[in-house]
Amino acid sequence: MAFNSNNLTISRPNYQFWTIVVVLGIASLCALLSFFAEASVAVFWLIGLAFGVTVQRSRFCFTSAFRDFFLLGQVRVLKGILAGLAVSTIGFAVIMSMSSPNPAFGSPPSDANILPVGLSTLIAGTLFGIGMVLAGGCVSGSLYRMGEGYIASWVAILGVITGLFFLNQTWNWWWDNLISRETPVWLPAEFTYTGALIITTIGLLSILYVSVWKERKVSAGFTMPQIKKLTTDTQPTNSISEIFSYLKKAFSKEWNPITGGIILGLLNIILFIRFRPLGVVGEISRWSTSLSNSLGIPTPYLDGMDLLGACAPILTEGASWFTEGFFLNTGIVAGAFCSAVFAREFKLRIPKSPIRYVQSMVGGIVMGYGAGLGLGCTLGAFFSAIPSLALNGWVYAVGLTIGAYISVQWVKKFS
Amino acid sequence: MSDNQEVEILDVRGEICPYPMIRTNKELDERDPAPLTLAVLTDHPPALSTIPPEAMKRGYGCEIEEIASGEWRIQLFKA
Repeated sequence: MAFNSNNLTISRPNYQFWTIVVVLGIASLCALLSFFAEASVAVFWLIGLAFGVTVQRSRFCFTSAFRDFFLLGQVRVLKGILAGLAVSTIGFAVIMSMSSPNPAFGSPPSDANILPVGLSTLIAGTLFGIGMVLAGGCVSGSLYRMGEGYIASWVAILGVITGLFFLNQTWNWWWDNLISRETPVWLPAEFTYTGALIITTIGLLSILYVSVWKERKVSAGFTMPQIKKLTTDTQPTNSISEIFSYLKKAFSKEWNPITGGIILGLLNIILFIRFRPLGVVGEISRWSTSLSNSLGIPTPYLDGMDLLGACAPILTEGASWFTEGFFLNTGIVAGAFCSAVFAREFKLRIPKSPIRYVQSMVGGIVMGYGAGLGLGCTLGAFFSAIPSLALNGWVYAVGLTIGAYISVQWVKKFS
Repeated sequence: MSDNQEVEILDVRGEICPYPMIRTNKELDERDPAPLTLAVLTDHPPALSTIPPEAMKRGYGCEIEEIASGEWRIQLFKA
Protein backbone atom coordinates (compact mmCIF):
# COMPACT_ATOMS: atom_id res chain seq x y z
CA MET A 1 0.00 0.00 0.00
CA ALA A 2 1.45 3.33 -1.00
CA PHE A 3 1.14 6.21 1.32
CA ASN A 4 1.64 9.79 0.37
CA SER A 5 1.12 12.43 2.99
CA ASN A 6 1.52 15.26 0.47
CA ASN A 7 -1.90 14.54 -0.94
CA LEU A 8 -3.62 15.24 2.33
CA THR A 9 -4.79 18.76 2.84
CA ILE A 10 -6.54 20.11 5.87
CA SER A 11 -8.51 23.22 6.40
CA ARG A 12 -7.41 25.43 9.24
CA PRO A 13 -10.22 26.32 11.61
CA ASN A 14 -10.76 29.98 12.30
CA TYR A 15 -9.74 30.16 15.97
CA GLN A 16 -11.05 33.64 16.56
CA PHE A 17 -14.50 32.81 15.26
CA TRP A 18 -14.79 29.60 17.28
CA THR A 19 -13.44 31.21 20.45
CA ILE A 20 -16.15 33.85 20.27
CA VAL A 21 -18.87 31.27 19.52
CA VAL A 22 -17.81 29.01 22.40
CA VAL A 23 -17.41 31.80 24.96
CA LEU A 24 -20.76 33.37 24.04
CA GLY A 25 -22.47 29.96 24.05
CA ILE A 26 -21.15 29.06 27.51
CA ALA A 27 -21.95 32.48 28.93
CA SER A 28 -25.51 32.54 27.62
CA LEU A 29 -26.23 29.01 28.84
CA CYS A 30 -24.91 29.97 32.30
CA ALA A 31 -27.14 33.03 32.32
CA LEU A 32 -30.14 30.93 31.27
CA LEU A 33 -29.40 28.30 33.93
CA SER A 34 -29.09 30.87 36.71
CA PHE A 35 -32.28 32.53 35.55
CA PHE A 36 -34.51 29.48 35.13
CA ALA A 37 -32.93 26.98 37.52
CA GLU A 38 -30.76 27.31 40.59
CA ALA A 39 -27.52 29.25 40.38
CA SER A 40 -25.65 26.20 41.69
CA VAL A 41 -26.37 24.43 38.41
CA ALA A 42 -24.31 27.03 36.54
CA VAL A 43 -21.38 26.44 38.93
CA PHE A 44 -21.45 22.69 38.23
CA TRP A 45 -21.66 23.38 34.49
CA LEU A 46 -18.60 25.68 34.62
CA ILE A 47 -16.60 23.25 36.78
CA GLY A 48 -17.54 20.44 34.35
CA LEU A 49 -16.37 22.52 31.37
CA ALA A 50 -13.10 23.42 33.08
CA PHE A 51 -12.60 19.77 34.00
CA GLY A 52 -13.25 18.68 30.41
CA VAL A 53 -10.81 21.20 28.95
CA THR A 54 -8.12 20.33 31.51
CA VAL A 55 -8.25 16.55 31.06
CA GLN A 56 -8.42 16.92 27.26
CA ARG A 57 -5.38 19.22 27.08
CA SER A 58 -3.27 17.29 29.58
CA ARG A 59 -4.44 13.88 28.29
CA PHE A 60 -5.21 13.12 31.91
CA CYS A 61 -6.21 9.49 32.08
CA PHE A 62 -6.58 7.77 35.45
CA THR A 63 -6.60 4.41 33.68
CA SER A 64 -3.24 5.01 32.03
CA ALA A 65 -1.74 5.96 35.39
CA PHE A 66 -2.56 2.55 36.86
CA ARG A 67 -2.15 0.54 33.65
CA ASP A 68 1.07 1.99 32.24
CA PHE A 69 2.92 1.48 35.48
CA PHE A 70 2.61 -2.27 34.82
CA LEU A 71 2.44 -2.23 31.04
CA LEU A 72 5.19 0.25 30.17
CA GLY A 73 6.75 1.56 33.34
CA GLN A 74 5.46 5.02 32.37
CA VAL A 75 4.43 7.24 35.27
CA ARG A 76 3.77 10.65 33.65
CA VAL A 77 0.07 10.74 34.54
CA LEU A 78 0.62 9.04 37.90
CA LYS A 79 2.83 12.00 38.89
CA GLY A 80 0.02 14.35 37.81
CA ILE A 81 -2.47 12.47 40.00
CA LEU A 82 -0.08 12.69 42.96
CA ALA A 83 0.29 16.45 42.42
CA GLY A 84 -3.50 16.83 42.27
CA LEU A 85 -3.97 14.75 45.43
CA ALA A 86 -1.33 16.78 47.28
CA VAL A 87 -3.01 20.09 46.35
CA SER A 88 -6.54 18.95 47.14
CA THR A 89 -5.51 17.27 50.41
CA ILE A 90 -4.31 20.62 51.75
CA GLY A 91 -7.47 22.40 50.57
CA PHE A 92 -9.82 19.69 51.84
CA ALA A 93 -8.10 19.65 55.25
CA VAL A 94 -8.62 23.40 55.59
CA ILE A 95 -12.29 23.15 54.55
CA MET A 96 -13.01 20.17 56.85
CA SER A 97 -11.19 21.70 59.81
CA MET A 98 -13.58 24.66 59.62
CA SER A 99 -16.74 22.51 59.67
CA SER A 100 -15.33 19.87 62.07
CA PRO A 101 -12.74 21.59 64.27
CA ASN A 102 -12.76 18.74 66.81
CA PRO A 103 -12.46 15.62 64.66
CA ALA A 104 -12.37 13.21 67.60
CA PHE A 105 -15.89 14.26 68.66
CA GLY A 106 -19.11 14.25 66.68
CA SER A 107 -19.59 12.97 63.17
CA PRO A 108 -17.14 13.54 60.31
CA PRO A 109 -18.01 16.16 57.66
CA SER A 110 -21.08 14.81 55.88
CA ASP A 111 -20.16 16.18 52.45
CA ALA A 112 -16.68 14.66 52.30
CA ASN A 113 -16.24 11.29 50.59
CA ILE A 114 -15.91 9.19 53.74
CA LEU A 115 -17.38 5.72 53.25
CA PRO A 116 -17.62 2.38 55.05
CA VAL A 117 -14.33 0.64 54.43
CA GLY A 118 -13.66 -3.07 54.18
CA LEU A 119 -13.77 -6.01 51.81
CA SER A 120 -16.52 -4.36 49.73
CA THR A 121 -14.20 -1.39 49.04
CA LEU A 122 -11.43 -3.72 47.86
CA ILE A 123 -13.77 -5.77 45.65
CA ALA A 124 -15.26 -2.60 44.16
CA GLY A 125 -11.85 -1.12 43.39
CA THR A 126 -10.62 -4.38 41.84
CA LEU A 127 -13.68 -4.69 39.58
CA PHE A 128 -13.31 -1.06 38.58
CA GLY A 129 -9.61 -1.56 37.81
CA ILE A 130 -10.31 -4.61 35.63
CA GLY A 131 -13.10 -2.83 33.76
CA MET A 132 -11.30 0.44 33.11
CA VAL A 133 -8.24 -1.21 31.53
CA LEU A 134 -10.45 -3.40 29.34
CA ALA A 135 -12.64 -0.46 28.26
CA GLY A 136 -9.65 1.82 27.66
CA GLY A 137 -10.80 4.50 30.10
CA CYS A 138 -12.41 5.04 33.49
CA VAL A 139 -15.83 6.66 33.88
CA SER A 140 -14.68 10.30 33.80
CA GLY A 141 -12.10 9.36 31.14
CA SER A 142 -14.78 7.83 28.93
CA LEU A 143 -16.99 10.90 29.47
CA TYR A 144 -14.33 13.27 28.17
CA ARG A 145 -13.41 10.95 25.31
CA MET A 146 -17.08 10.96 24.30
CA GLY A 147 -16.53 14.67 23.70
CA GLU A 148 -13.39 13.97 21.67
CA GLY A 149 -15.38 11.73 19.32
CA TYR A 150 -14.43 8.21 20.47
CA ILE A 151 -17.30 5.88 19.63
CA ALA A 152 -15.72 3.18 21.85
CA SER A 153 -16.15 5.52 24.82
CA TRP A 154 -19.85 6.00 24.06
CA VAL A 155 -20.14 2.21 24.18
CA ALA A 156 -18.17 2.13 27.46
CA ILE A 157 -20.55 4.64 29.11
CA LEU A 158 -23.49 2.57 27.89
CA GLY A 159 -21.74 -0.38 29.59
CA VAL A 160 -21.36 1.66 32.80
CA ILE A 161 -25.10 2.43 32.78
CA THR A 162 -25.79 -1.31 32.33
CA GLY A 163 -23.31 -2.25 35.07
CA LEU A 164 -24.97 0.19 37.48
CA PHE A 165 -28.32 -1.41 36.63
CA PHE A 166 -26.97 -4.84 37.66
CA LEU A 167 -25.47 -3.36 40.81
CA ASN A 168 -28.73 -1.65 41.84
CA GLN A 169 -30.59 -4.94 41.37
CA THR A 170 -28.10 -6.76 43.65
CA TRP A 171 -27.17 -3.91 46.01
CA ASN A 172 -29.24 -5.18 48.95
CA TRP A 173 -27.26 -8.43 49.02
CA TRP A 174 -24.01 -6.50 49.34
CA TRP A 175 -25.55 -4.22 51.94
CA ASP A 176 -26.87 -7.12 54.08
CA ASN A 177 -23.75 -9.25 53.84
CA LEU A 178 -20.91 -6.75 53.78
CA ILE A 179 -21.42 -3.01 53.71
CA SER A 180 -23.82 -2.68 56.67
CA ARG A 181 -21.14 -4.30 58.88
CA GLU A 182 -18.37 -2.02 57.70
CA THR A 183 -17.71 1.35 59.30
CA PRO A 184 -16.07 4.44 57.86
CA VAL A 185 -12.57 5.24 59.06
CA TRP A 186 -11.84 8.94 59.01
CA LEU A 187 -8.15 9.49 59.73
CA PRO A 188 -8.50 12.84 61.60
CA ALA A 189 -10.91 11.19 64.10
CA GLU A 190 -8.21 8.65 64.97
CA PHE A 191 -5.01 10.65 64.60
CA THR A 192 -6.07 14.37 64.55
CA TYR A 193 -5.67 16.50 61.41
CA THR A 194 -1.90 16.71 61.84
CA GLY A 195 -1.58 12.94 62.08
CA ALA A 196 -3.89 12.39 59.11
CA LEU A 197 -1.90 14.86 56.98
CA ILE A 198 1.39 13.18 57.96
CA ILE A 199 -0.02 9.74 57.04
CA THR A 200 -1.34 11.03 53.69
CA THR A 201 1.96 12.77 52.91
CA ILE A 202 3.94 9.61 53.68
CA GLY A 203 1.54 7.62 51.47
CA LEU A 204 1.84 10.01 48.51
CA LEU A 205 5.62 10.29 48.83
CA SER A 206 6.00 6.48 48.92
CA ILE A 207 4.04 6.17 45.66
CA LEU A 208 6.15 8.97 44.15
CA TYR A 209 9.32 7.15 45.19
CA VAL A 210 8.20 3.83 43.70
CA SER A 211 7.10 5.48 40.44
CA VAL A 212 10.30 7.47 39.96
CA TRP A 213 12.31 4.34 40.72
CA LYS A 214 10.31 2.41 38.14
CA GLU A 215 10.68 5.17 35.56
CA ARG A 216 14.44 5.34 35.99
CA LYS A 217 14.69 1.56 35.68
CA VAL A 218 12.51 1.18 32.60
CA SER A 219 12.84 4.23 30.41
CA ALA A 220 16.35 5.53 30.96
CA GLY A 221 18.04 6.93 27.87
CA PHE A 222 15.01 7.46 25.61
CA THR A 223 14.31 10.75 23.96
CA MET A 224 10.87 11.22 22.51
CA PRO A 225 10.76 12.17 18.82
CA GLN A 226 9.47 15.64 17.93
CA ILE A 227 6.08 15.70 16.24
CA LYS A 228 6.17 17.26 12.78
CA LYS A 229 3.12 19.49 12.48
CA LEU A 230 1.19 20.19 9.33
CA THR A 231 0.79 23.88 9.93
CA THR A 232 3.29 26.47 11.05
CA ASP A 233 2.41 29.34 13.33
CA THR A 234 1.85 32.59 11.53
CA GLN A 235 2.84 35.95 12.95
CA PRO A 236 -0.13 37.93 14.29
CA THR A 237 -0.91 40.92 12.07
CA ASN A 238 -2.62 43.23 14.58
CA SER A 239 -3.21 43.59 18.33
CA ILE A 240 -6.49 41.64 18.37
CA SER A 241 -5.02 38.69 16.52
CA GLU A 242 -2.00 38.82 18.85
CA ILE A 243 -4.33 38.44 21.86
CA PHE A 244 -6.04 35.51 20.19
CA SER A 245 -2.66 33.98 19.47
CA TYR A 246 -2.04 33.78 23.26
CA LEU A 247 -5.26 31.80 23.60
CA LYS A 248 -4.32 29.63 20.68
CA LYS A 249 -0.92 28.91 22.22
CA ALA A 250 -2.43 28.03 25.60
CA PHE A 251 -5.23 25.83 24.32
CA SER A 252 -3.70 24.08 21.35
CA LYS A 253 -0.52 22.94 23.09
CA GLU A 254 -0.40 19.75 25.14
CA TRP A 255 -0.32 20.47 28.88
CA ASN A 256 1.98 18.69 31.27
CA PRO A 257 -0.03 16.14 33.34
CA ILE A 258 1.33 17.71 36.53
CA THR A 259 -0.21 21.05 35.51
CA GLY A 260 -3.40 19.14 34.70
CA GLY A 261 -3.41 17.38 38.08
CA ILE A 262 -2.89 20.62 39.99
CA ILE A 263 -5.79 22.30 38.11
CA LEU A 264 -8.06 19.29 38.82
CA GLY A 265 -7.07 19.47 42.50
CA LEU A 266 -7.98 23.17 42.58
CA LEU A 267 -11.33 22.54 40.82
CA ASN A 268 -12.06 19.86 43.42
CA ILE A 269 -11.34 22.33 46.23
CA ILE A 270 -13.53 25.04 44.63
CA LEU A 271 -16.44 22.61 44.32
CA PHE A 272 -16.01 21.29 47.88
CA ILE A 273 -15.90 24.78 49.47
CA ARG A 274 -19.54 25.33 48.66
CA PHE A 275 -20.92 21.93 47.61
CA ARG A 276 -19.23 18.53 47.57
CA PRO A 277 -16.12 16.94 46.04
CA LEU A 278 -15.94 15.89 42.38
CA GLY A 279 -17.77 12.71 41.42
CA VAL A 280 -19.70 11.57 38.35
CA VAL A 281 -21.11 8.13 39.19
CA GLY A 282 -24.11 9.08 41.36
CA GLU A 283 -25.60 10.93 38.41
CA ILE A 284 -24.97 8.09 35.94
CA SER A 285 -26.62 5.74 38.46
CA ARG A 286 -29.64 8.03 38.37
CA TRP A 287 -29.68 7.77 34.55
CA SER A 288 -29.50 4.00 34.90
CA THR A 289 -32.46 3.79 37.29
CA SER A 290 -34.55 6.22 35.20
CA LEU A 291 -33.84 4.14 32.11
CA SER A 292 -34.65 0.80 33.76
CA ASN A 293 -37.80 2.23 35.37
CA SER A 294 -39.02 3.50 32.02
CA LEU A 295 -38.30 0.06 30.52
CA GLY A 296 -40.57 -1.43 33.19
CA ILE A 297 -37.85 -2.86 35.45
CA PRO A 298 -38.23 -1.06 38.78
CA THR A 299 -35.22 -0.40 41.00
CA PRO A 300 -35.65 -2.06 44.41
CA TYR A 301 -35.45 0.11 47.53
CA LEU A 302 -31.70 0.47 48.08
CA ASP A 303 -31.11 -0.34 51.76
CA GLY A 304 -28.81 2.03 53.59
CA MET A 305 -28.11 4.15 50.52
CA ASP A 306 -29.48 7.29 52.18
CA LEU A 307 -26.92 6.85 54.99
CA LEU A 308 -24.01 6.90 52.57
CA GLY A 309 -22.27 9.85 50.98
CA ALA A 310 -19.90 10.24 48.03
CA CYS A 311 -21.51 9.03 44.82
CA ALA A 312 -24.59 7.38 46.31
CA PRO A 313 -27.37 8.12 43.83
CA ILE A 314 -29.99 10.61 44.93
CA LEU A 315 -33.28 9.14 43.69
CA THR A 316 -36.08 11.59 44.28
CA GLU A 317 -39.43 10.91 42.68
CA GLY A 318 -40.48 13.58 40.24
CA ALA A 319 -37.31 15.62 40.59
CA SER A 320 -36.00 17.61 37.64
CA TRP A 321 -33.84 15.76 35.15
CA PHE A 322 -31.48 18.69 35.02
CA THR A 323 -29.64 18.26 38.30
CA GLU A 324 -26.26 19.59 39.37
CA GLY A 325 -24.71 16.24 38.49
CA PHE A 326 -26.28 16.31 35.04
CA PHE A 327 -24.56 19.61 34.28
CA LEU A 328 -21.24 18.45 35.75
CA ASN A 329 -21.22 15.34 33.54
CA THR A 330 -22.43 17.01 30.36
CA GLY A 331 -20.05 19.90 31.07
CA ILE A 332 -17.14 17.43 31.01
CA VAL A 333 -18.26 16.12 27.61
CA ALA A 334 -18.85 19.65 26.25
CA GLY A 335 -15.56 21.02 27.63
CA ALA A 336 -13.56 18.19 26.09
CA PHE A 337 -15.43 18.67 22.80
CA CYS A 338 -14.66 22.42 22.63
CA SER A 339 -11.06 21.84 23.64
CA ALA A 340 -10.56 19.09 21.05
CA VAL A 341 -12.13 21.17 18.27
CA PHE A 342 -10.01 24.18 19.22
CA ALA A 343 -6.81 22.13 19.20
CA ARG A 344 -7.79 20.51 15.87
CA GLU A 345 -7.98 17.09 17.52
CA PHE A 346 -11.68 16.36 17.29
CA LYS A 347 -12.53 13.44 15.05
CA LEU A 348 -15.11 10.67 15.02
CA ARG A 349 -13.02 7.64 15.93
CA ILE A 350 -14.74 4.46 14.91
CA PRO A 351 -13.02 1.18 15.82
CA LYS A 352 -12.89 -1.18 12.85
CA SER A 353 -12.63 -4.50 14.64
CA PRO A 354 -15.86 -5.72 16.30
CA ILE A 355 -13.97 -7.09 19.31
CA ARG A 356 -13.26 -3.50 20.48
CA TYR A 357 -16.98 -2.85 20.94
CA VAL A 358 -17.26 -6.02 23.03
CA GLN A 359 -14.24 -4.97 25.11
CA SER A 360 -15.68 -1.49 25.68
CA MET A 361 -19.12 -2.84 26.61
CA VAL A 362 -17.88 -5.61 28.93
CA GLY A 363 -15.25 -3.29 30.45
CA GLY A 364 -17.94 -0.66 30.98
CA ILE A 365 -20.29 -3.14 32.68
CA VAL A 366 -17.60 -4.45 35.07
CA MET A 367 -16.43 -0.91 35.81
CA GLY A 368 -20.02 0.32 36.32
CA TYR A 369 -20.73 -2.50 38.76
CA GLY A 370 -17.54 -1.68 40.70
CA ALA A 371 -18.33 2.04 40.71
CA GLY A 372 -21.81 1.36 42.10
CA LEU A 373 -20.50 -0.97 44.78
CA GLY A 374 -17.67 1.39 45.76
CA LEU A 375 -19.96 4.46 45.58
CA GLY A 376 -17.63 6.21 43.21
CA CYS A 377 -15.18 5.97 40.34
CA THR A 378 -11.55 7.05 40.13
CA LEU A 379 -12.89 10.52 40.98
CA GLY A 380 -15.43 10.04 43.78
CA ALA A 381 -13.95 6.99 45.51
CA PHE A 382 -10.28 7.82 44.96
CA PHE A 383 -9.36 11.35 43.78
CA SER A 384 -11.90 12.92 46.18
CA ALA A 385 -11.65 10.29 48.95
CA ILE A 386 -7.92 10.46 49.71
CA PRO A 387 -8.08 14.27 50.20
CA SER A 388 -11.15 13.65 52.43
CA LEU A 389 -8.57 11.92 54.67
CA ALA A 390 -10.70 8.78 54.50
CA LEU A 391 -9.21 5.28 54.63
CA ASN A 392 -11.63 4.05 51.93
CA GLY A 393 -9.75 6.11 49.31
CA TRP A 394 -6.53 4.19 49.95
CA VAL A 395 -8.22 0.77 50.01
CA TYR A 396 -10.02 1.59 46.76
CA ALA A 397 -6.64 2.58 45.24
CA VAL A 398 -5.18 -0.79 46.25
CA GLY A 399 -8.17 -2.45 44.54
CA LEU A 400 -7.65 -0.34 41.39
CA THR A 401 -4.00 -1.41 41.32
CA ILE A 402 -4.84 -5.11 41.71
CA GLY A 403 -7.57 -4.87 39.06
CA ALA A 404 -5.37 -2.97 36.60
CA TYR A 405 -2.60 -5.56 37.07
CA ILE A 406 -4.96 -8.49 36.39
CA SER A 407 -6.51 -6.78 33.37
CA VAL A 408 -3.13 -5.86 31.87
CA GLN A 409 -2.18 -9.56 31.86
CA TRP A 410 -5.41 -10.45 30.03
CA VAL A 411 -5.16 -7.61 27.55
CA LYS A 412 -1.55 -8.52 26.72
CA LYS A 413 -2.54 -12.12 26.10
CA PHE A 414 -5.80 -11.74 24.20
CA SER A 415 -5.49 -8.85 21.80
CA MET B 1 12.72 8.56 3.74
CA SER B 2 10.79 9.55 0.66
CA ASP B 3 7.08 10.03 1.01
CA ASN B 4 6.38 8.14 -2.18
CA GLN B 5 8.21 5.00 -1.14
CA GLU B 6 6.09 1.90 -0.66
CA VAL B 7 5.81 1.32 3.07
CA GLU B 8 3.89 -1.13 5.15
CA ILE B 9 1.03 0.38 7.08
CA LEU B 10 -0.60 -0.65 10.32
CA ASP B 11 -3.86 1.23 10.62
CA VAL B 12 -4.99 1.44 14.26
CA ARG B 13 -7.22 4.47 13.78
CA GLY B 14 -10.37 4.38 15.91
CA GLU B 15 -8.66 2.43 18.69
CA ILE B 16 -8.09 3.49 22.29
CA CYS B 17 -5.11 2.77 24.57
CA PRO B 18 -3.64 0.28 25.18
CA TYR B 19 -4.70 -1.39 21.94
CA PRO B 20 -2.76 0.74 19.37
CA MET B 21 0.49 0.08 21.25
CA ILE B 22 -0.22 -3.62 21.82
CA ARG B 23 -1.04 -4.18 18.15
CA THR B 24 2.14 -2.36 17.07
CA ASN B 25 4.24 -4.46 19.46
CA LYS B 26 2.66 -7.66 18.14
CA GLU B 27 3.45 -6.60 14.59
CA LEU B 28 7.09 -5.96 15.51
CA ASP B 29 7.49 -9.04 17.72
CA GLU B 30 5.59 -11.79 15.98
CA ARG B 31 6.28 -11.26 12.30
CA ASP B 32 9.07 -13.33 10.84
CA PRO B 33 11.19 -11.67 9.59
CA ALA B 34 10.52 -8.55 11.64
CA PRO B 35 9.46 -5.62 9.42
CA LEU B 36 12.23 -3.21 8.39
CA THR B 37 9.82 -0.30 8.31
CA LEU B 38 6.31 0.15 9.57
CA ALA B 39 4.03 3.15 9.37
CA VAL B 40 1.47 3.20 12.20
CA LEU B 41 -1.56 5.38 11.58
CA THR B 42 -3.32 6.53 14.73
CA ASP B 43 -5.87 9.13 15.78
CA HIS B 44 -5.32 8.52 19.51
CA PRO B 45 -2.92 11.19 20.85
CA PRO B 46 -1.79 9.19 23.93
CA ALA B 47 -0.46 6.51 21.54
CA LEU B 48 2.15 9.06 20.44
CA SER B 49 3.83 8.70 23.81
CA THR B 50 3.35 4.93 24.25
CA ILE B 51 4.31 3.49 20.83
CA PRO B 52 7.72 5.24 20.34
CA PRO B 53 9.38 4.05 23.59
CA GLU B 54 8.17 0.50 23.02
CA ALA B 55 9.48 0.52 19.42
CA MET B 56 12.80 2.01 20.52
CA LYS B 57 13.18 -0.80 23.07
CA ARG B 58 12.92 -3.16 20.09
CA GLY B 59 15.65 -1.35 18.18
CA TYR B 60 13.55 0.85 15.93
CA GLY B 61 13.99 4.49 15.16
CA CYS B 62 10.91 6.65 15.09
CA GLU B 63 9.46 9.76 13.46
CA ILE B 64 6.05 11.25 14.13
CA GLU B 65 4.19 13.32 11.59
CA GLU B 66 0.75 14.91 11.73
CA ILE B 67 -1.09 13.80 8.59
CA ALA B 68 -4.51 15.34 9.15
CA SER B 69 -6.51 17.03 11.85
CA GLY B 70 -6.31 14.59 14.79
CA GLU B 71 -4.34 11.95 12.86
CA TRP B 72 -0.68 11.05 13.00
CA ARG B 73 1.71 8.72 11.25
CA ILE B 74 4.36 7.09 13.40
CA GLN B 75 7.12 5.96 11.05
CA LEU B 76 9.20 3.15 12.53
CA PHE B 77 12.40 1.93 10.90
CA LYS B 78 15.09 -0.55 11.88
CA ALA B 79 17.88 1.67 13.15
